[in-house]
Amino acid sequence: MAQDAAGAIGARVSPQVDTLIRAAQGGDQDAFEQLVRTYDQSVLRLAMNLLRSPEDARDVYQEAFLRVYRNLHAFRFDCSFHTWLYRIVTNICLDQLRKRKVRKEEAAVMETSDGPIDRMETFEEEAAGSDPERSMWNQELKQRIENALVGLTPRERMVFELRHYQGLRLRNIGEMLGTTEEAAKNCLFRATQKMRGVLGDFV
Amino acid sequence: MNCDAVTKLIPLYYYGELTPDEEDQVDQHVHECAACGVSMEQQQSLAAALDRRKLDIPPLMLEDCRDDLMAAIAGGIPRQVKPEKGPWALFLEAMAATFAGFGRLRQPVAAVALILLGYLAARYSGAGAASLSAVPNDNVYSNVRSVKALNDGSVQITLDETRRREITGRLEDSNIQRFILAGSRDEDAAVRVESVGLLKNRADSQEALDSLLNALANDPNDGVRLKALDALKPVAGDPRVTKTLSQVLLTDANPAVRMQVIDLMVTRRDDSVVGVLQNLMQRENNSGVRLKASKVLKDWNASIGTF
Repeated sequence: MAQDAAGAIGARVSPQVDTLIRAAQGGDQDAFEQLVRTYDQSVLRLAMNLLRSPEDARDVYQEAFLRVYRNLHAFRFDCSFHTWLYRIVTNICLDQLRKRKVRKEEAAVMETSDGPIDRMETFEEEAAGSDPERSMWNQELKQRIENALVGLTPRERMVFELRHYQGLRLRNIGEMLGTTEEAAKNCLFRATQKMRGVLGDFV
Repeated sequence: MNCDAVTKLIPLYYYGELTPDEEDQVDQHVHECAACGVSMEQQQSLAAALDRRKLDIPPLMLEDCRDDLMAAIAGGIPRQVKPEKGPWALFLEAMAATFAGFGRLRQPVAAVALILLGYLAARYSGAGAASLSAVPNDNVYSNVRSVKALNDGSVQITLDETRRREITGRLEDSNIQRFILAGSRDEDAAVRVESVGLLKNRADSQEALDSLLNALANDPNDGVRLKALDALKPVAGDPRVTKTLSQVLLTDANPAVRMQVIDLMVTRRDDSVVGVLQNLMQRENNSGVRLKASKVLKDWNASIGTF
């Protein structure tokens, strides 16, 4: 299970972050930049894992932090900054996923500045070279996982991503998505069931 | 606790989202029920398989994103800074203090004062004042092209400004169609993806079909090509489409595109498709694509190789 630094930040705003936010609200550019650097890695990782496209992840990053820049004056400290930021980020990502629902966008290979790479290259290729059967099985598993994820609704995908890969608590996820913890639990259950259904005898 | 209830709790158990009491109950049930024990193991296998899919951020990407963001901000993204008190509030306060006792006259007097202020600002702001507003309009996006220090101590800044317009209309509108066709050739891949997607139901028009075939055969972006494939589904039987699909199947660098091309080509059995698939089997390196093509040939009782 993956645990992200953002999860630890999420619960409470540290005094340093609090100071940064207030300074940035007053127009301090350096403070804003430091604030971005505190959270941006987890934002980019979320966008990358969710959208599986460096190009789209960059767009989400830029759009999210520009919205933060424009609207930071409206942040009133009535929730954690992490939750506030993730509300923005998840909204942008959900829009992207909904747009994609009309197309099957989950290509196995994506373009990067370093040339095309296999999206699933982090998959272990255990002795694949010497074991064609194993390699074929891995390929099929990859394809099934992609199919399973494509079969989720954008909201189910988001809840699953935030819980499984970002390690956030369902209570926080509910808060970010403007829903209840109970609804987030149901969403996670549905996502898991769907994936188990598609992956079938692979798991 | 029965099996149905436990099944619902297993994912939450795995992610540590249950109360200690609920955890104990699930533990107890799983210990006694073989079927739920298997379900718990499947949950762990699923999570392990998905862990292997985690994607890392490519090196330098984060720094690039930071640079782009700061450049966009430096280029003039409008921003509201939280003021101690707004200029309007300060102005009204000052007016109220000056004209204390003239409450009824405050608004007209303030209006006259504003007009006077505007006149004086225009009259006396000469060479020393900036000739452009420091904060651009929402619809105008500025990039700093050059910065030059002048001899008199002032600074000359040249800005490139792009104006944004929004046009709304229905897909049937010929002007909207013209923009969508232009969008399908835009340099921004995101614009191309959206535009190509909108051409889906217009593939009966020659221009739209040309754009879709061009996108499928030549667009460097995988997402655009996949979108074009999706848009071509309703006209997959058109001879021009079939021909382009055959070419793309043998030349596209992306296995996911090739897989989808196969899906589109095999909606109906055709001897020419059999030939193309047999040709593909001679050269295809990707095991997933080979598997798909060989399955189709097998289903159609065709041989995998050519003789």
